[in-house]
Amino acid sequence: MLWLCIQFPKLPLEVLTRAQHDGTEAHAQAVVEQQLIVDANHTAAERGVETGLTIATACALCADLQLLQRDIQREEQQLQQLAQWGYSFTPVVSPQAAGSVDAGDDRFACLYLELSGCLKASGGLHPLLQQLKRELRQMRISCFMGLGHSPSAARMLSQLPEHRQWLRETQAPPSPQQWRQWISFSPSKLLDCDNKTIAKLYACGIKRVSQLLAIPLSEVGSRFGRNFVDYLARLNGTRHDPVPSYQPPPEFHSELFFPSPLDNSEQLLFPAGRLVRELCQQLQRRQLYSHQLRWKLDFGQQGCKVFSVEVSRPLLDAQRLIALTKLQLERIKLEQPIQALSLTCDQLLPMEQDKLDDDLFGKDTQVQRSHQLLDKLKARLGHEALSGVTLKESYLPEQAWQSADTLVLQSNRSKKGHQLKPINAPRPTWLLSRPDRLHSREHKLFYRGEIKLLQGPERIDGYWWQHGRHGRDYYIARGEEGGLYWVFQDLTSEDWYLHGVYA
Amino acid sequence: MSNAENLLQNNQLADQSKQQRLSQLLARPDIWQAANEHKRQRSGIASGYASLDALLASRGWPRGATTELLVNQSGIGEMSLLLPALAELTQREQMVVLVNPPFIPYAPALASAGVQLEKLLIIHPRGHKDELWATEQALQSGCCGALLSWQDRQAPADKDLRRLQLAAREGDCLHFHFRPQSCAASPSPASLRLQLNSDGEQLAVQLLKQLGGQSGQRLHLARSADLVRRDQPLH
Repeated sequence: MLWLCIQFPKLPLEVLTRAQHDGTEAHAQAVVEQQLIVDANHTAAERGVETGLTIATACALCADLQLLQRDIQREEQQLQQLAQWGYSFTPVVSPQAAGSVDAGDDRFACLYLELSGCLKASGGLHPLLQQLKRELRQMRISCFMGLGHSPSAARMLSQLPEHRQWLRETQAPPSPQQWRQWISFSPSKLLDCDNKTIAKLYACGIKRVSQLLAIPLSEVGSRFGRNFVDYLARLNGTRHDPVPSYQPPPEFHSELFFPSPLDNSEQLLFPAGRLVRELCQQLQRRQLYSHQLRWKLDFGQQGCKVFSVEVSRPLLDAQRLIALTKLQLERIKLEQPIQALSLTCDQLLPMEQDKLDDDLFGKDTQVQRSHQLLDKLKARLGHEALSGVTLKESYLPEQAWQSADTLVLQSNRSKKGHQLKPINAPRPTWLLSRPDRLHSREHKLFYRGEIKLLQGPERIDGYWWQHGRHGRDYYIARGEEGGLYWVFQDLTSEDWYLHGVYA
Repeated sequence: MSNAENLLQNNQLADQSKQQRLSQLLARPDIWQAANEHKRQRSGIASGYASLDALLASRGWPRGATTELLVNQSGIGEMSLLLPALAELTQREQMVVLVNPPFIPYAPALASAGVQLEKLLIIHPRGHKDELWATEQALQSGCCGALLSWQDRQAPADKDLRRLQLAAREGDCLHFHFRPQSCAASPSPASLRLQLNSDGEQLAVQLLKQLGGQSGQRLHLARSADLVRRDQPLH
C-alpha cells in the first residue's frame, strides 16, 4: 500500500478568494470563525496576523484587514470536488474535513489517495506527483503532501519538512526501512493526538517518536491509554488503518455556454454530441448507466426548455444516444436563441453483468434491437403514441382490456402467479372506442344497410350497485354485405348500439 | 511461389467469387427461375388455413415482403385470416406491430386466439409523414415478426410503397397492408395481393398478384362456426 496524503492548509481562505484576480492579493484578508482568525493571506501574515488570534488583536496589528466569515459548507463542497478530481487518478480516495476551531482541533482538510494501483498508468511516482501538483496549482489551491504506507503515516510525514524535501526529488517509492527511519526521526509533536497527550510526552522527555517506540507497548498503554497504542500500531503498519472510502455521487451534470447565442437547432448537434461523449466516457469509467438524459435549453432571460431522452436498456454508445437526441431536437421549434445547453442525469445505476447485452463482436441481439426500435419511436412520436394492450378483470366488455405501458413488452417474461384468462365466448377483434348508436325502424336495425341478428342474447348486467346501471343484451348480427357485428340493446333505454366488429 | 502459379490461383479465386455472387443474386426472393422451381425454398409463415397455404407460392405468407389485402369493409373476417399467423409469431417471442389500427384491438379476443399480448405494440403516429417513418423503422429493425398497417385517407405514393417493401425485406418482417379495393387497378410493388370479399356466409379470397407463383385463383374460407350459428329467434 502506498498512501498519499494531500493537505490543504489554506482551504478556508482559498474557497472564498479563488475566483478573485491576482491583483487583490495585496489586500490583507483573513477568515474568521467565532471571533478567532482561522486563516490569513500572505499580506496579512507578513504583518503578523496568524491563526488563533482574536479579531481585536488582528485588527490592532493590521488596521485595514478585511475579515471574511468562514463558510464550512463551501469548504465541504470544494473538498468533494477535490475528491472527485482525485478519483480520476485512483479509485481509492478518502477526503477528510478540517477540524473546527471551537473543538480545539486545528487539523487541515486533507485527501488520502492510494497510489500503488495507479503508478504504472501514470508513468511512475515522480510524473504522477508532478501532475497532481500542477493541476492543484491550476485550481489555485495550495497544498503539501506526504507519502506513507498507511494513511496515518502519510499524514504525519506530510508535516515533516525533511520528508517533503525528499518527496520533491524522489523517483521511486521508498523501502519499508526508510519509512521506519522517518517515523522514528519525526518529532513527537507531529503525532496526531490531542494537546494534552503531547504535553505529557514532552514532560516525559520524549521528543522524538524513536524514543516512544523504544518503550515497551504495555508501558505506553498504561500511561497514555489504549487509543494511543492503537494509533501507534496503525502508524507502524502493524495494524490496519481504515479510512472511509469516497464514492462519487451517482449523477451527472454538465453545461456548455455559448458566447454567441445559437438560433438553429441543427447547430446544437455538435455541442450536444460533446456532452453526450463526456457522459459516455464517465459512465464507462464508472460502469454505470442512465435511463434518462435530461436536456435543458437555456434562453437566458427568456426562461428555458427541458426535454428528456429515455433509454430503456443500458446504452454506452455515444452515437446511438446522439441519434436519439437528434430525433427529439427535430421536434422542437426554437423561439429564442439558446445561450446555454446542459445535460443532466439524475440517476446513474450500476451496470449489471446480464443487463449489458452488447455482444463482444458488436452483433445486436433481438431484444436489444427491439429496445432500440422502441427508443427511436418514443423519441420521435412521443411517449403517448406507443401502447400495448392487456387483459383486465371486468364484466363490462369495454373494461375487460386496458392499454399497457410499452415497457411491459420485454420485461416480465416469467409468468406471474395470477394470470388473467380471457372470457370463453366469441368476442370481436375490433372494439369501438364508444358504442355507435344504430338506427332502428319498424323492428329492423340499420348499419350500412340492414343487419340481422344471428345469435343472442348474451346478457351482461353489471355495476347495478353503482351509479348508472349497465344492463345490456348482446347479439351477433350480420350486415347486408356479410360483415359480422357485435351489437347490444341497452336494457334501460331500449336503444341499439354497435360495439364491436368481428374482423 | 512462381508467378504463373500465383496467376492460376488468382484466377481460381476470381471464379469462385463470381460463382458466389451469382448464387447470392439467384437466392434473392424476387428472382424466379422456372428451371429451379422444385428447389425453391418453401419457407413462408403458415397462415393457419391449409387451403390458402396450398395456393401461395411459399406455402404460407411470404417472408420479408409486403402482402396487400384489399378490403372495403371491416367485419368480413380479414383479421381472423391473419390471427393464426400472428399468434404463432408472438408465441415465438417476436413482436407484432399495429400502425394506426382503425378500431381498438380487443384484448380478450386476441388473447383467446392465442396472441401473446405482451408482444403486441400499437403505435399511433400523427400525420402521414410520421406514419411512414414509423412503419419503415419498425419494418427494417429486424425485431418485428409482423407489421400491420392501414392506408389512411391519403394513398401512399408508389415510391413509398417500394420503400416499405424494401424495408420489410431488410428486416425480414411480414408486412400486411390493408387498402381499399379501389387500389386494385393501380400497380403495386407488393409481392402478394389479395382481394377480400364476403359472399354472405364465407370470406372470398382472390389472388390478384403473386411473385413467383400463379395468380387469379379464388378461394372461400368459412368463418368460425361459433359466429355464424343461427339461433332460434326469441321473438
